[in-house]
Amino acid sequence: MLRDGRAAAGNDAADWIRAIAEKEDRAAFASLFEFYAPRIKAMLMRLGAAADSAEDFAQETLLTVWRKAAYFDPARASASAWIYTIARNLRIDRLRGDNRAKLYAPYEMVEPEGPENPDSALNAAERDARVRVALKELSQEQVRVLQLSFFEGRAHGDIAALLDLPLGTVKSRVRLAMARLRNLLGDLQ
Amino acid sequence: MTIIHHPSDATLAAFASGTLDEARGVVVAAHLALCAQCRNGVHAFEQAGGALLDDVEPAVLSAGALQRAMAALGPLDIISPAIHQDAAGDLPAPLSHYAVGPWRWIGRGVQWRPVEVASDAGVRVFMLKAAPGTKLPRHRHTGTEWTCVFEGAFTHALGRYGSGDFDEADESVEHDPVVDAEHGCVCLVALQGHIELQSWLGRLIQPFVRI
Repeated sequence: MLRDGRAAAGNDAADWIRAIAEKEDRAAFASLFEFYAPRIKAMLMRLGAAADSAEDFAQETLLTVWRKAAYFDPARASASAWIYTIARNLRIDRLRGDNRAKLYAPYEMVEPEGPENPDSALNAAERDARVRVALKELSQEQVRVLQLSFFEGRAHGDIAALLDLPLGTVKSRVRLAMARLRNLLGDLQ
Repeated sequence: MTIIHHPSDATLAAFASGTLDEARGVVVAAHLALCAQCRNGVHAFEQAGGALLDDVEPAVLSAGALQRAMAALGPLDIISPAIHQDAAGDLPAPLSHYAVGPWRWIGRGVQWRPVEVASDAGVRVFMLKAAPGTKLPRHRHTGTEWTCVFEGAFTHALGRYGSGDFDEADESVEHDPVVDAEHGCVCLVALQGHIELQSWLGRLIQPFVRI
């Protein structure tokens, strides 16, 4: 489950990215790299990449974070969510070579003239806190199937084999975990 | 525009995590361009992805990894104004990256135009334009059929699908949509496999129908 200290690093991450954007702060980059590069490498290895290509990918992701630091808007996304989406888009570009990463542009790049929905004009920090609370509310098994299905993009059949569970059980756990997450997020939507 | 029908949570999560195939992703993106609620949903799942990334057990980096990264640091990108993706002609914004063919008649009251999206999941993307009151033949699918409505509406057993609505039909659905009597309907469809017409006439003409 989410350990204390990591959320704190997550909060610092927003400051590190801002320091890069404002004054090309190399020490801030080093801190960001030391926290996220090992995690992105781990994420890629879970997705089936070999250790050295996963590490190349982590390097490329963090270098992209450096280059695009000025685009980070803490009001729209937490640092970890922003880095996650950069890694996602790079992975799609790199692995698929198709136009898919561009599909994210319409809602990433278009600056809304005001809050998209006045009722849910939560700032990213609040959304992030709520997501973390919601994840803590889930059982270990639910978090595991969420990780495998959503984070690692595994097919339900693979998850069933990995966890030695019947396919129907996996499907209902994914559905339940997803619904629980959305439910706990409540009026975020 | 009041949107009633939305993609499922699983679909929004798959989109957020980058695991949805491009062809179906196009139709989801078309809906997202119209639906603030689902954009928020995707952002929430991206936030969850970020939280899971923070929590993953870190891998060990090779010696000198940080030094190599520091040595590769170059200039920062200069921030450019947000790219407003305008609809290209009569095409919705998410289709602007793709070649789109001409409209062709494929049956009485129904026109079809292909959207060139490569798919490794056997999914074809196309737009449909149906005249007011058109009754589409009862059919089922061999795979999923996802639809985003741009103009007008259609109705089937699960409800009325108007502008912005998203219909996520899977292979278990058998339906006979009726197009809005006043406005007709223009929609974007990602069809996996093919459709199977259920009437004897439909089965007879099936070999001649392109979808």
